[in-house]
Amino acid sequence: MNAEQRAVFQGIVYYYRENQVICRYQAMLKDAIDPALLQKALDAARPLAEYYFCHVVWERREARLEPNTAPCHVRQGSAQPKIPEETNGYLFSLGYEGQTIYLDWFHFLADGRGGSPFFTLLLKQYSNLRYDAGFVCEALVSDPPYDVEELLARYPESQVTNDMQKDVLQIHEGTPHFQRLRLEKQSLVELAQREGVKPFSALMGLACQAAQQYLEKNELVYSYAADTRAALGVPNALYNCIASFQLPLQLEPQARLHSFAKQLDADIRASLTPERRLFRMAEQMGWVYQVFRQKAALKIKKRVFQMGEYISGFPADFWVSYIGSPLQPHSPELEDYLTDFQTWVLPDGASLAMEVTSLHGVLTCCIENKVDKPGYLEALRDVMEREGVKVLEAVHIS
Amino acid sequence: MERAEIVSQILAILEDVAEISPEDVNENSVMMDDLDLSSMEILTVVADLEETFGLRIPEKELRNFVTIGDLADYLTENAG
Repeated sequence: MNAEQRAVFQGIVYYYRENQVICRYQAMLKDAIDPALLQKALDAARPLAEYYFCHVVWERREARLEPNTAPCHVRQGSAQPKIPEETNGYLFSLGYEGQTIYLDWFHFLADGRGGSPFFTLLLKQYSNLRYDAGFVCEALVSDPPYDVEELLARYPESQVTNDMQKDVLQIHEGTPHFQRLRLEKQSLVELAQREGVKPFSALMGLACQAAQQYLEKNELVYSYAADTRAALGVPNALYNCIASFQLPLQLEPQARLHSFAKQLDADIRASLTPERRLFRMAEQMGWVYQVFRQKAALKIKKRVFQMGEYISGFPADFWVSYIGSPLQPHSPELEDYLTDFQTWVLPDGASLAMEVTSLHGVLTCCIENKVDKPGYLEALRDVMEREGVKVLEAVHIS
Repeated sequence: MERAEIVSQILAILEDVAEISPEDVNENSVMMDDLDLSSMEILTVVADLEETFGLRIPEKELRNFVTIGDLADYLTENAG
């Protein structure tokens, strides 16, 4: 694999997926957004964040990244544009409406952790212009792409033949509904302490209970993503660098958190060692690598990838993605300028997705639900309240 | 489309994808064992068949494709 191929390989999987996955960060400020200043902020960010100001060039069957010199305009309104068709080839879009700034980006470009430094930089630049905040804005330089061939050579046993005869979880693929839940973080932390588990495990356990109630099944597959930057030795990678885990869980009817929290926590902790992260990364990227190397049209590669991912057991009933503080580097000073933060991602490969961020002691859970029936939000609320987590808001958005 | 035509298309794609001569294949050939096809090769054959016959095969059907005859059965029933 040459340098050009390596540079696109980390995100190429998002060209193989059936649905284009656009990620969204949205931050609400105290005042209405000034579009001219937001444009200035975007322009000021360009020389500091060259990685993001690129476009994808396809030549025959190969893609490569090149700097994009076309004008990059901020957009008015909350509607997600088509990327890159409506964004001058850019793989992201910066928009505004009222007091809110939206950053939408094609997942090819970066994962959530890779989107955070860019959004943080844009918010700092804007705050400097709008409020004379005085934030220092440093250049964002990505570590070079990791060597997937080296990773696969290190874990040859991660590459097993897909078993085409095994049972595969069926997921729902209805039109996504958007819901939002806000929780008091401290009450979740206290629950986790009582159970002796990580707060993330407690949150995942609660989500499992709600899914059990809502999906009316006691055997679930839950999913979550883990950052692999540190384990791969590329702590400053701006590109996609996540491993996703799909774990089964058998619950007793109407399970209470206490009955399974310890086991769930142990399973999650065991998956998060550097070795397990790397092994999982090798497992999932091995299939991408095989498809990537195929001499076939993109259309065929897409189908082969999708079918292979399906039979490899990738689908899950739901995932929970906890990004914590959305600002990177974490900046309490910048948080002071924000009144809200939300993040939205399509539940590709699952029926339900919950993206969770933490700001000012509030956990904001943004839910996209592809199951064609009501009751998920209500199930979450029931479970949270039953287990002692304070629900601050539970709203259906659309 | 006649079943014989469908089988002939499958064999042509198989030859293209895995360089297996049509003379070495029959409807009872087990793709993974007799023909030694990898899952990548089988899925590529399926993707090519989708293109050729202009249909989308639901993923849940994949587990039923053990032999060449299984593929032919599905296409005979579902390809216009």
